Amino acid sequence: MSRAARAWSRDRRSPGKSVALHLTLIAASIVSVFPVAWLVLTSLKPRQAIESASVAPIDHPTLANYTQVLGETRFLTWAANSVVVSLVTAVLGVLLAATTGYAVSRFRFPGFRSVMWMLLITQMFPVAILIVPIYNLMAGLGLINQFPSLVIAYLTSTVPFCAWMMKGYFDTVPATIDEAGRVDGLTPFGTFWRLILPLAKPGLAVAAFYSFLTAWAEVAYATAFMTGDDKYTLAVGLSQFVGQHKAEWGLLTASSVLIAIPAAVVFLLVQRHLVTGLTAGATKA
Amino acid sequence: MTADVVATGRAAPRSGARRLLARHWYAWAMTAPVVIVTLVLVGYPLVRGIYLSLTDATEATMGRTIGMNVIPPTYQFVGLKNYADILTSPEFLGRLTWTIVWTVVCVALHVSIGLGLALLLNRPMRLRSLYRVLLVLPWAVPSFVSAFIWRYLLNGEFGVVNAMLRAAGFNGIAWLDDPFWAKVSVIACNVWLGVPFMMLAMLGGLQAIPRELYEAAEVDGATPWQRFRHITLPGLSPVSSTVVLLGTIWTFNQFPVIFLLTKGGPGGSTEILVTYAYREAFEGIRNYSGSAAWGMVILALLVVMAAVYRRALRRQGEAW
Amino acid sequence: MRRVLTSAAVAAALALAVTACGDGSGDPGAAPAKSAAPAEVSGTITWWDTSDATTEAPAFKELVKDFEAKYPKIKVNYVNVPFADARDKFKTAAQSGAGAPDVLRTDVGWVAEFASLGYLAPLDGTPAVDKPEDFLPVPATSGKYNGKTYGVPQVTDTLGLLYNKELLKKAGYDEPPATMADLKKVALDVKSKTGAGGIALNVDAYFLLPFIYGEGGDFVDVPNKKITISSPQSVAGVKIVEDLIASGAAVKPALQDSYTNAETAFKDGKVAMIFNGPWSNADNLGGKVFKDNPDNFGVAPVPAGSVKAGSPLGGHDYTVYAGSKNLDASYLFIQFMASAESQAKIAGKLGLLPTRQSAYSAPEATANPKIAQWQKPMETAVERPWIPEAASLFQPLLEGYQKLAAGQTTTEPMLKDVATAYQGILKGWSL
Repeated sequence: MSRAARAWSRDRRSPGKSVALHLTLIAASIVSVFPVAWLVLTSLKPRQAIESASVAPIDHPTLANYTQVLGETRFLTWAANSVVVSLVTAVLGVLLAATTGYAVSRFRFPGFRSVMWMLLITQMFPVAILIVPIYNLMAGLGLINQFPSLVIAYLTSTVPFCAWMMKGYFDTVPATIDEAGRVDGLTPFGTFWRLILPLAKPGLAVAAFYSFLTAWAEVAYATAFMTGDDKYTLAVGLSQFVGQHKAEWGLLTASSVLIAIPAAVVFLLVQRHLVTGLTAGATKA
Repeated sequence: MTADVVATGRAAPRSGARRLLARHWYAWAMTAPVVIVTLVLVGYPLVRGIYLSLTDATEATMGRTIGMNVIPPTYQFVGLKNYADILTSPEFLGRLTWTIVWTVVCVALHVSIGLGLALLLNRPMRLRSLYRVLLVLPWAVPSFVSAFIWRYLLNGEFGVVNAMLRAAGFNGIAWLDDPFWAKVSVIACNVWLGVPFMMLAMLGGLQAIPRELYEAAEVDGATPWQRFRHITLPGLSPVSSTVVLLGTIWTFNQFPVIFLLTKGGPGGSTEILVTYAYREAFEGIRNYSGSAAWGMVILALLVVMAAVYRRALRRQGEAW
Repeated sequence: MRRVLTSAAVAAALALAVTACGDGSGDPGAAPAKSAAPAEVSGTITWWDTSDATTEAPAFKELVKDFEAKYPKIKVNYVNVPFADARDKFKTAAQSGAGAPDVLRTDVGWVAEFASLGYLAPLDGTPAVDKPEDFLPVPATSGKYNGKTYGVPQVTDTLGLLYNKELLKKAGYDEPPATMADLKKVALDVKSKTGAGGIALNVDAYFLLPFIYGEGGDFVDVPNKKITISSPQSVAGVKIVEDLIASGAAVKPALQDSYTNAETAFKDGKVAMIFNGPWSNADNLGGKVFKDNPDNFGVAPVPAGSVKAGSPLGGHDYTVYAGSKNLDASYLFIQFMASAESQAKIAGKLGLLPTRQSAYSAPEATANPKIAQWQKPMETAVERPWIPEAASLFQPLLEGYQKLAAGQTTTEPMLKDVATAYQGILKGWSL
């Protein structure tokens, strides 16, 4: 942001307005953070304090829930599974979404509109109803209890969205760059790979984070497809703490915190790119 | 849909197949992996779903052989009976109305709060990046975890929200037990989950609007409202049109929040079409034909919505 | 308090409602069972256990090790599947033919459904059904469908009346209420004399059953293919609940997390009585008012209605997936796991109630006071309708119960709606 722009904006704000602005943002931040903070506090309580009518922020604090989650369950195995599945989904998702997004951004080819519609329609079919047919497809391919089945299922939901988003981003990259590539004798693929992709890095980061998070948090497919508890992802493993007659709130909250932390850290790392990515996606060519 | 991908010629002059291929092979090649995978994974269930929705197939009538048990298929073609049953069932209109209310309220709140926060954040100030991180936190927490937290926060007995109300001298509210408050609760949870994404999307859009436009407007004596109305809103539309469309689709089909927070209760009052369809079709002996018909009805509703939306966008000159 | 439950007592007590189930028509062709010599059987089998992963699973894993020691050629792949996911997960896998386990720990309410869909192997004449005469008669009915055996009972349970002795004493009662009329009276006295609530209700269709059974009602009348949920008897039963809520004898029940909230109130001493099963013992004894004073915790049979005292039979059966590649090993596994010795071990360690009469007198089982504590309540256990659609019958009643508890409807119209919903589920059944 230029010095001029900064002056333009700040000079015009009266002290009263400034206070109102900060108060509003503080209030919004509290609403946004409070549930997560309460989750963290709850994970530090013993069972009896969690299920008690007397509610206190801190009550017999203990790390027992964490030691039990890390020591007595297969949490680390599940975490490793989740990381593998999420990373592969993110990388493949970005590659597929980028090529598709580029094609629908640059070329008006026969079938263009159908592809756009198809990407939209895949978002519309309720997942709950798709599970059985997709399970049978995966069973036919011999992929039950294998990570590829999850990656493929996740890609069907992440790629369409990311492709839409990437299209918006590529729209902002000036067409003169493609032109330059063609003059230099590059094929459309070469132009895409050597010239456009490097410019689109922030957009790629957005798509990658979105895909990562989708795979990281998905429950329905993972519950159906993973039939051995050594292959559970975190989201599935977590449901082990909800028994037939009671839920282990302590273990649930502790593992929720452990699950949320990596997601939040990855997010903090990419959040700058995230804004730039969407920024660029906003301007039309 | 499938045939369209290859056959539509609207965007290019009609000519020989060879010329088409020569001209467009790279575009097709670039979209092919996604198109093929999608057609297999979504197209196959879709086509099969259409077929099943015209039969009375259930888990009991589908033929199968499992070990020593051989069960012959006994399902029949019943035409549009499943669709008629859904559309004439006493529950349908009520569920549809609530689903529309739920979608409209959620998306409206997502967009307005998201845009409001984005406008606040889109100016130089102290602690801006800290606010941004805090406000985005709900998105970084997986949504099933969030639903758990909310159910716990809103618990009438040992939930902290009621504890605070009681400490402040009010009566606790039956957040999840009263049909009205349960609706408020699921909407609140979903808004909390969805605002960060909208906020970031809007923020990105705002940052892309050239400053010069505002400065020029100011020189011309435009009021803040006029600048918002004539510069900000049009400048945002490339971003907002996409996120509103996708947000509407996602909210319409938002299964986890409803299912994990209230299971559709109390007394079915928070049940949206997707959770209701899931219950109808998957509880007890699975009703494959019924679930397929439900899927088609939901799909049809969303396609109509998207088509109307797209027409509106085209009128504004955003073609796709 | 510690009493030894003799096998004779259980046999006599539990031989209650034993009715033939199903109409005996032909079902999917079942191969005659063949059995190999046990020592020759080898291979790997997968077992999906749905027991509580943190508290119960370790004891079952230990039994699996014992089994592998006894049959060194057989390897058991133990998988703990959360109870809430197990039914859907099994059905998805079973219909596809890929990914299903060989042996499944099946809720008694699922057996008929799975069997009717052809997912289960009939077990009659196989080693899995070992000394069938030793099984308690009511739990044994849960494994049968259409005259064949598909499930071997693993553990059994039922609901009882749990009470806080001190609170009852303060209200002037040394004994828990034995009838539904007394239940209301005691609850109201507790409320007026101690300040605590009388009874905490769990708004769940299953927990309505003791009231309905007590008046002679039920969901359905299986032999006559009749829907009886809106019969005068069932109405009378649910009216007791309506009255408990309206009169204030029951504290205002929560509808979401109803179970946990009711339990919390009971454990915290905020309410004197609750209906719950043996699975809640450990949880209750860890509660504020029982932790340092376990004798304060009382267990009694559910109060009797005007007809009888009756509570639903729960528990789990072992079943074998029909598509199992290793039926022989699966049969042997079940034989071992459901044996009196294994059951006694589980009873001793976890306090889960055995399904074999002989297991009750084993020293390992009698060492756990819970087993004797639940003797009387188990006597009230009533066989549930073992029909494929049984699992679908709870949801409409749950929704109705929620509306009733919230005061949005009254018993008769509510049960009428439920009966209409049942007509949609049970095609061709009469009202």
